[in-house]
Amino acid sequence: MRYAEWCIAAPSLEADIAAAAMGLDDIGHSRVLYGSLRELGTPDGADEGGYANVPYLDKPWSDWAQFVAANAVLDSAFTLMIEALANGSVEVLRSRLKKMLQEERYHYLHGHSWMRETKTGTAIERAWRESFEWIGPEAADVDQLHRDGQLAFGVRDLRRRLDERVGGAPPAVGIDWKKWDPVRRRTEPGGIDQATLDMLQGLAEKRYMPSA
Amino acid sequence: MAYSRVHAKVREYDVFARKTRVEPLRQVGSVVAPDDDLAMAYARATYDEERWVEMMIVPRDAVIRLWAPGEAES
Repeated sequence: MRYAEWCIAAPSLEADIAAAAMGLDDIGHSRVLYGSLRELGTPDGADEGGYANVPYLDKPWSDWAQFVAANAVLDSAFTLMIEALANGSVEVLRSRLKKMLQEERYHYLHGHSWMRETKTGTAIERAWRESFEWIGPEAADVDQLHRDGQLAFGVRDLRRRLDERVGGAPPAVGIDWKKWDPVRRRTEPGGIDQATLDMLQGLAEKRYMPSA
Repeated sequence: MAYSRVHAKVREYDVFARKTRVEPLRQVGSVVAPDDDLAMAYARATYDEERWVEMMIVPRDAVIRLWAPGEAES
């Protein structure tokens, strides 16, 4: 959604198109993941009030540097988790997530290249901190899933791989894990605005449906 | 051709693709980017409307031209 908002605002026409394409890819990825959840027995239907996102996505980005930092760091963190699932023991995920990884390769190339010539400033620090928060603390759910075999990587491995992929030492980010919400995977309160949430859940489109 | 872009230095890349193994690669377009990584990302994003079995990009300045339209083969 945040990628799509930049489809006419990026610094060049090619970057506009890439933003739109990456946004479309990620909508497709969400559909695959939701479909997989259904097969894994998670009840279907809207979970009112249960929508969770990293704080970085709460508000639209006002600067291209924010796009680049999210593209290079947060998107890489999400991709690594998908890799951990695709190489884990859950058969539905092993078979379904490979195409996502192929598409995410181009998101990585885009973010990584733009990082080389964009001053990402505080945006990059925030992206790192929120990536670590989203991966979560050691000896918690992710490490448990790793021990059970469902995830191919644990927390330390995910962090190390993220360092390697993004390149350059990550900034020192102090995370107060006491404030960490294990469901929403963030320490900051707040969330995405209602209008965007309605669009994401398809509720905004309902007003265009013909009345019965 | 001169480009006014945000990047200080860019290269033009021609994009080649094919839909089946039996057909030859054909030029489907071009992209402008400062490096190969971004050129790959742009080519894939811009020309993904078909189900290609193969896609590749070539920096235009790596192509050696023998002759061009309007020029006689000598």
